[in-house]
Amino acid sequence: MRWTTRAALMKWTLGSVAVGFLIYQWLPMVTLGVLSFSGPDGGTTFPMNGVSLYWYAELWEPSLSADFKAPLLRSFLLALACSATTAVMAVAAAQAVRGEFRGNGVFFYLILLGIMAPGLLVGFGVAIVARLLGIALSWSTTTFLVHVTWTLPFGFLTMLAVFNRFDRRLEEAALTLGATRVIAFRRITLPIILPGVIGAALFGFSLSYDEFARSLFTTGADLTLPLTVLGQFDRQLTPSLYAVGTLTTLFSLTVILLFGGVMWLTRGRARRPA
Amino acid sequence: MSTISRRSPASYLLAAPAALWMTGAVVVPTLLIAWVSLWGGRAFSPDSPLTIANYARFFGNQTYLKLILDTVQQSLLLMAISGVLGYAIAYFLVVMVKRPMVRLAIFFALVIPFWTSAIIRSIAWIPFLGVNGVINRTLMFLGLTSAPIDAFLYSRTGITMAQVSLYTLLMTGPVVYTLSNIPVQLREAATCLKAPPLAVFRRITLPLTLPGIVIGQVLIFLNVMSDFATVAAIGGNKLALLGNLVLNFYEAGNIRYASVVAVLLMVCMLAGVAIALKVVDVRRLGE
Repeated sequence: MRWTTRAALMKWTLGSVAVGFLIYQWLPMVTLGVLSFSGPDGGTTFPMNGVSLYWYAELWEPSLSADFKAPLLRSFLLALACSATTAVMAVAAAQAVRGEFRGNGVFFYLILLGIMAPGLLVGFGVAIVARLLGIALSWSTTTFLVHVTWTLPFGFLTMLAVFNRFDRRLEEAALTLGATRVIAFRRITLPIILPGVIGAALFGFSLSYDEFARSLFTTGADLTLPLTVLGQFDRQLTPSLYAVGTLTTLFSLTVILLFGGVMWLTRGRARRPA
Repeated sequence: MSTISRRSPASYLLAAPAALWMTGAVVVPTLLIAWVSLWGGRAFSPDSPLTIANYARFFGNQTYLKLILDTVQQSLLLMAISGVLGYAIAYFLVVMVKRPMVRLAIFFALVIPFWTSAIIRSIAWIPFLGVNGVINRTLMFLGLTSAPIDAFLYSRTGITMAQVSLYTLLMTGPVVYTLSNIPVQLREAATCLKAPPLAVFRRITLPLTLPGIVIGQVLIFLNVMSDFATVAAIGGNKLALLGNLVLNFYEAGNIRYASVVAVLLMVCMLAGVAIALKVVDVRRLGE
């Protein structure tokens, strides 16, 4: 076989693998969306037994399934808190690393531990600490504490990458012209890295919003949305879970689009003269 | 000159909150798990005598030992399947797709599901895997089987199928990153010097993407080792891996045993990361 033919064959093979995987990845999610509209007698797979909004109505006024409204609010607030905390701490931590303080290598790995350490175990450990210290578990305290250990490393890595591409001369110019470090940071550095900061914040939001392994041991009685979904799934799988799944997926998609939009709008910002 | 000077007090102050947070909420709790796993007696108290009896009893049980093997085996299986699949997709995306818009579209189609809830994505497999599920109906419709196959839901096959869809992107991501950093000229030069395509791949592309490969494999390994949700959702109560065992012991109120399993899980995972770090330096990737 001529190698041009072989290359074409290779391209087609790899192309089908890629497209095949895309279908494999999307098909269950699309199916979930379709099944969430099944009729009142619909089961958890096909046939749908009619088309209705019954299972969405069920979400609003639950008769069979758990109430998802309060957990949704908790997850949302928790994600907002994680998002803000992540953005602020990630910028501070990355700026600190630029200062090359003694031990910044250890510091880097310390933060990365948050990604490496399995969520189940971190949550379990914090639950033990809380029990030893006699602290009550709650979504707004212990869960928040653990979620940030998960969202912060992603924000931190984002900010490190942003600072790596950052043009130091802009800061230097401001400092040479007599600006103090704080003013140069606020007026020059911060506006330039802002898209990255927003990225870190959105990272923090969506990672916390979907997190369950870290919440499992640390939440106490008032559950977050993913935990309520897991609990309902353990008791009984109904199409109302498919409806919840469809809604949260759409919500996550909106957050991603928002993220993409911000990135697109602020692109080239660093290059534009101030 | 920059907005922060070298080794200034400010740099320590700025690093302090994150360092304290990670120490207090990750390092200390993890060490505490190791400590609790050594507690003797029955009461939950720091005064418990230290003993290795918990470990001895755990290792004396064949079922638990097999569970460790099962967990590692499942991770290796996923590393193989998702590794090859993820690399192939990354290679196609970076090397073979020429039009930037098409590349971007495929990239987004790959990444977007990753940003949605893993629980929901696991649950989304249920309509496919059951005895009356989509897969069985399709097989029967095609005449490939006359009776439904009971091998998908509540089985390792089903779990593996769902995990492949969840974790393949962990491989694709790092490989895409390292692949796009390789100048096209390197491959072109090798081709001009009459290297056959396979040699170009083996001697140029593969070695240069090694860091990406290692990171992808580590990410898959870590995620599958500690995955309990997919196992619980699709395996029902019939299957368990180490993560589920931690959960089961904890829910049964047996915190010592849960700690023992947690420590073993951590040891396995640290060993995996240690091996990987010997191969590549993660810190140099951002440069």
